[in-house]
Amino acid sequence: MEMTRRDLLKGAAALGAAAAVPLTAGSPALAQTTQKKELVTAQSGDVSKFDPHFSTSSNDVRVSFNIFDNLVSRHPDGKLYPSLATEWKLEGQTTWRFKLLQGVKFHNGDPFTSADAKYSIERTYDPGAKTMVATVLATIERVEAPDPSTLVITTKKPDPLLPARLAFYGGQIIPKKYVESVGNDAFNAKPVGTGPVRFTSWVKDDRAVLDASPDYWGGKIDMDRWIMRPIPETAPRIAALLKGEVDAITQLPPDQEDRVAANAATRVAGALYAGLYVLAVNSKRPPLDNPLVKQALSLAIDREAIVKELWRGRGIVPNGPIAKGDNHFDTSLPPLAYNPSEAKERLKKAGYKGEEVFIETTVAYVAQDKAMAEAIAAMWKDVGVNVKVEVIEYSVRAQKNREKSFKGVFWSDPTSTLSDPDGMMWRLLGPGGPQDYWREAKFDELGNAARFSVDEKFRGQAYKEMTKIFLEHLPWLPVIQPYEDYGIQKYVEFTPNPNQQFEIRRFNFKFRRA
Amino acid sequence: MRGFVPFLGQRLFRALIALWLVSTVVFVVMRLSGDPVPLLLPPDAPTSEILRVRRELGLDKPLPVQYLIFLSNLAHGDFGRSIHFREPALDVVRGYLAATVELGLTAFVLAAVVAVPIGLFSAMRRNTLVDHAAMGLALVGQSAPTFFLGILFILLLSLKADLFPTSGRGDWHNLVLPALTLGAFTMASIARLTRSAVLEVLRADYIRTARAKGVAEVWVVAKHTLKNAAIPIVTITGLQFGTLLGGAVVTETVFSWPGIGRLAVQSIYNRDYAVVQCTVFLAALMFVVINFMVDLVYGVLDPRVRAG
Repeated sequence: MEMTRRDLLKGAAALGAAAAVPLTAGSPALAQTTQKKELVTAQSGDVSKFDPHFSTSSNDVRVSFNIFDNLVSRHPDGKLYPSLATEWKLEGQTTWRFKLLQGVKFHNGDPFTSADAKYSIERTYDPGAKTMVATVLATIERVEAPDPSTLVITTKKPDPLLPARLAFYGGQIIPKKYVESVGNDAFNAKPVGTGPVRFTSWVKDDRAVLDASPDYWGGKIDMDRWIMRPIPETAPRIAALLKGEVDAITQLPPDQEDRVAANAATRVAGALYAGLYVLAVNSKRPPLDNPLVKQALSLAIDREAIVKELWRGRGIVPNGPIAKGDNHFDTSLPPLAYNPSEAKERLKKAGYKGEEVFIETTVAYVAQDKAMAEAIAAMWKDVGVNVKVEVIEYSVRAQKNREKSFKGVFWSDPTSTLSDPDGMMWRLLGPGGPQDYWREAKFDELGNAARFSVDEKFRGQAYKEMTKIFLEHLPWLPVIQPYEDYGIQKYVEFTPNPNQQFEIRRFNFKFRRA
Repeated sequence: MRGFVPFLGQRLFRALIALWLVSTVVFVVMRLSGDPVPLLLPPDAPTSEILRVRRELGLDKPLPVQYLIFLSNLAHGDFGRSIHFREPALDVVRGYLAATVELGLTAFVLAAVVAVPIGLFSAMRRNTLVDHAAMGLALVGQSAPTFFLGILFILLLSLKADLFPTSGRGDWHNLVLPALTLGAFTMASIARLTRSAVLEVLRADYIRTARAKGVAEVWVVAKHTLKNAAIPIVTITGLQFGTLLGGAVVTETVFSWPGIGRLAVQSIYNRDYAVVQCTVFLAALMFVVINFMVDLVYGVLDPRVRAG
């Protein structure tokens, strides 16, 4: 909902004297430093699960990656760094040996050893545990803990991305003894990890309180306490930032950035999302089973206009199925083209007879989904497509997603979990994957070979060819790779992570003190 | 008081029927609205998993059997287990109740305390500027959407005037804006209603008589007018209070107030049957209890009712 301060004041003029009081946002000069020991953040939704293996939603990821550590960590610069594992070596083709950090304790005092790492990893794909991350570490054959500070992982086939897989959701390390003794539900209610903050309390839909772990192995973070408040409405969330009630907010929409930037005490910080916003296609439904139709639909989308008008420039036009910042992103490929006359030509060539093309859009599941859907529908109408936009609720989308019963195209924001095409294009579009609506033999052959090859040159070539096949068949219509922006107080020194982690460890988060 | 006990008994019976009807409707509607299992499992879960979870949650039994189980559990205060939070539904809802009652009660008291004198004053100064201004403001309060009012208050009274916090629950400062927002409609309704009720009464003969007898205006107002005007005011006010307790969803969302309205909506999206049933049932319970108490007050105020 857009409402500028000017609009509101016009309407409020009749309502009273309060409008005459000048804006007080704290003295601008002092806003650059602080002595705070408490971090308060606001995000658009509450935590749903504290158990890190049972949710992949960004609202949960932001918290769980700070209560728990992984063996390997992906920093905001996009690179992998040692975390609970100090080093790792590939022995032969399929065996990885990890050396683990010594002297680390869980928040309840239990020591961290290789037994915990083995337990955590095996739990993710244990059919009895039924986690939400069961396919993340599915390339693993077995895990061995020969001594408390060594972990040996053997993969089914050569897996060059194993360290990357361990760095993202599914790779959080949980305490074996504690979880086994209290059970999953109690663990979810009172989580225990090795991370820089420990769980203190949670009032649902009000606040989660996390206290800094004083002897965190990475150094005590620059605060004593972190309070996370869910503020679902955008206007109050931004108001809380502008007033100084919170130090950082997430999910800042592009059309509100001017307000945050104009305020003397706050600024906008963003990272290019490690992923894409796409219209995924149910390619089994005519006329979307015809590649020419899909190519026409893609050519009819004026992505530049969407970036400029709806996103205020905070995004880039993709050039294919690989996100910028990933391995094997092809800089030589041009951004996806906008050519309405060519689109009309392809529709004609395809023999398109005006069949209905459905856009089933959610509202605020993917940022700006409804607005983009309406814009794209208008663009498609312009080239003669009989397009129908239907708004569906999130839980309906979840059901259709499971049953693969979408009527046409639908929004998806695939995350590139490994900074590699294997973790996005292949994970989602591969056979048996969650968006398996279309198959092509060569594409599948290449995807499989690339997953299990340690030869980066070969992989690069394979992904190049897969991209070509992708661009012909368009199982996704990539629309934008957006910036995901935060609003933060100027005294907060913090770099956002493209993969939606909210990194508050010492190396990435500091309060600027006088 | 002879007629009072059967009067009470009848009201109580009606209350129980209302509660039973509400819970049945919720039960049926929730189960017709879709399957919660896809929301609980990863998108690539096999069908055997889906069937297993359905069995575990008792969703594979025929609907009438589920209903009987539901009724018997209800009688024991067992609302089932929250699928989403993995704890008993009643425990989840209990965590939100205090916030709802705090906000609802404050909004109501604020509304009543402000609106009744305004309505009374407007009636006594009928057709003056004060009257027109007050009723104009009441019209705004009744027609402005809650969402709009809430955001307006945040931007003007919190951000610009720095008088109150922007959102969230805390001490009494945090209560003011949400209570104003939630109470606006009620305040306006009560003000307008009070005004008409008082005007009605002021026309009555016994008022003319009191004035003719030389009774001080203050007593005319306090004793004679208000007491008689109270009946419609109490009735409508009681209804409004019930609505305030159960229907504060928009206000709670705007102000991030952790109340049961928000919980109910989120649980609907999550297809969390147990929690939805529990919140709706408890909201209905509060509504029914309040109406029952209104009936009691009614009985005290108006002897004609007691006599049956």
